[in-house]
Amino acid sequence: MFRTDEIIKAAKLPPEGVAMSRHIDYIYFIPILFVTIVGTFHMHFDLLAGDWDFWIDWKDRQWWPIVTPITAITFCAALQYYNWVNYRQPFGATITILALLAGKWVTIWAAWWWWSNYPYNFVMPSTLLPSAIVLDIILLLTRNWTLTAVIGAWLFAILFYPTNWAIFAYSHTPVVIDGTLLSWADYMGFAYVRTGTPEYIRMIEVGSLRTFGGHSTMISSFFAAFASSLMYVLWWQFGKFFCTAYFYLTDDRQRTTKVHDVFAYATLAHSNKATGGKA
Amino acid sequence: MNAKHAFKLWMLGFCGMATLAVTPVLDVTPAFAHGERSQEPFLRMRTVNWYDTEWVGKSTKVNDVTELRGKFHLSEDWPRAVVKPNRTFLNIGSPSSVFVRLSSKINGTPMFVAGPMEIGRDYEYVVTLKARLPGHHHIHPMFAVKDAGPIAGPGGWMDITGRYEDFTNPIKTLTGETFDSETKGTATGIMWHLFWAAVAIFWVGFFMIRPMYLIRARVLAAYGDEILLDPIDRKVGIAVLVFTVTVVTVGYLSADAQYPVTVPLQAGEAKVKPMPVKPNPFVVEVTHAEYDVPGRALRMTLHATNNGTQPVTIGEFTTAGIRFTNKTGKAKLDPNYPAELVAADGLTMDNEAPIQPGQTVDIHVESKDVLWEVQRLVDILHDPDQRFAGLLMSWTESGERLINPVWAPVLPVFTRLGA
Repeated sequence: MFRTDEIIKAAKLPPEGVAMSRHIDYIYFIPILFVTIVGTFHMHFDLLAGDWDFWIDWKDRQWWPIVTPITAITFCAALQYYNWVNYRQPFGATITILALLAGKWVTIWAAWWWWSNYPYNFVMPSTLLPSAIVLDIILLLTRNWTLTAVIGAWLFAILFYPTNWAIFAYSHTPVVIDGTLLSWADYMGFAYVRTGTPEYIRMIEVGSLRTFGGHSTMISSFFAAFASSLMYVLWWQFGKFFCTAYFYLTDDRQRTTKVHDVFAYATLAHSNKATGGKA
Repeated sequence: MNAKHAFKLWMLGFCGMATLAVTPVLDVTPAFAHGERSQEPFLRMRTVNWYDTEWVGKSTKVNDVTELRGKFHLSEDWPRAVVKPNRTFLNIGSPSSVFVRLSSKINGTPMFVAGPMEIGRDYEYVVTLKARLPGHHHIHPMFAVKDAGPIAGPGGWMDITGRYEDFTNPIKTLTGETFDSETKGTATGIMWHLFWAAVAIFWVGFFMIRPMYLIRARVLAAYGDEILLDPIDRKVGIAVLVFTVTVVTVGYLSADAQYPVTVPLQAGEAKVKPMPVKPNPFVVEVTHAEYDVPGRALRMTLHATNNGTQPVTIGEFTTAGIRFTNKTGKAKLDPNYPAELVAADGLTMDNEAPIQPGQTVDIHVESKDVLWEVQRLVDILHDPDQRFAGLLMSWTESGERLINPVWAPVLPVFTRLGA
């Protein structure tokens, strides 16, 4: 079914090297790569879009679908660069969002439920997994990061709201408390006391986007798509910057050359010819 | 490693273990509340002057309803360093949501969202609470001002008994359904998260079952990507793409059908009218104030005129939720008010006699207690703006209470010699 044998043969590794490479895959992939993404991206995401993701009464029609995808696509793009350019692996975005949600759910259970005693529904996070899967598949199908920035990043943002409507539609059900109309989400935010988070901190449909024809969600989603596209390009380049490895080779005539073939480093370093660089 | 070396290591380890073991013994007092004493005194004294605070029902069972209520005056001496109360929210200072807030009203107006308040005016609040988490909880009223932060009011202990597992909070929606705030939406949310996680794990797993990194990197470097791009990856990719978009669409449409009536999140502005200004025949002005550091006393000279028809007796000075009373004020004290916030005999005057109608007097008033230190109000002396503010409570002969906001710059007295 797969080309695995052909690929292994082309790698020109002895059987023990192939076996070792699989061990490295497992050790590197789960304990190192995945946990590193959890540690770095979870914090990064929460600092930028945390409140929108923590609280049910922050998930409005305007800022939530703008802030969340734009923030989330950052590491997705960088990790796509790393996985695609170095290994042709089309799961950079998916693994990033999986790691983010792993971190999220640890926080929801440990910090919000066990420590702070907020109910799960009050702190339910949104999911970007369908968006991430689609972003990865667009990269796989187009094999082109520019097209992925245009098509994939747009889909990444556009899919966000409908995906999460399945989870949060109920929270927009109207209730009347003390003669005042509230959405269920507003009621939850009011009922569950947050000492350090007064109501006015929320950003609910403020700004000029809501004044355009009343279609806040559509306009916000398209704006998010456009901004995600730009963010994707920027963070793909960050990925490139941080994943580019090279070293300098000084030959017998003392000429120094920048070499990007990092596999040659070990051999050359052994012969004492390689110097400096990022490799 | 010789014996001496081993002994040194053993001693180091022993000291470390001993330190760890002794630490909890050295400090066994529980943590008290939310660090309200750390709030600078200019915030606690010169913004919101709380009074008549009541923690109704000091002990409640899970699911029982109780109240936190009282009044506050927004000080005329509002500090320049604090943003004016143009957008404010009455909150509860509690260790997490130990109560569920059922209702919050200021002067009868529901306070679901923030709104502006007027400096120099009084407001009455009632917050209805439903007991949720058993325990011994320190509860404050809290006044949050946008761009200034939360300002904690006095804290009182409230006990909740029973089991959390019994807690429910069913609310009827406008569409006729009943939602329980503890559980509504949890199962659906978790189900969708698990479902998409399964799809994502399938997608990543599809590539994990084959060599992932080292081998592919070598092949890519040596031959380019033709070998690596397996045709089955594209086929599976297209299938997963179609599946994902289909499920998203179906999920969206089915949620839309299940909840056809929805409203956007509501975030207007509460329009709260202050309490009417009550005529006060007693006029008080602070002509001099000093804080005696070694004596732990705030001394004021009041220039007071009684324009009323009955004699007036000063009985209490309150600031930052701390109450200094004399015999008159002590008789009016709510016995449920937290004792740790009361200096029952902390107020003295050089002339205790009632101020007669038409009389103008200069009185030296001293509020003296260790509470100035304990509550860290003495820190006003470290401010760039050394002032105080509070409320002076007096009573007429017929028992009517008169409230006078007072404020003034404070001069420090650092030695007994200067006192």
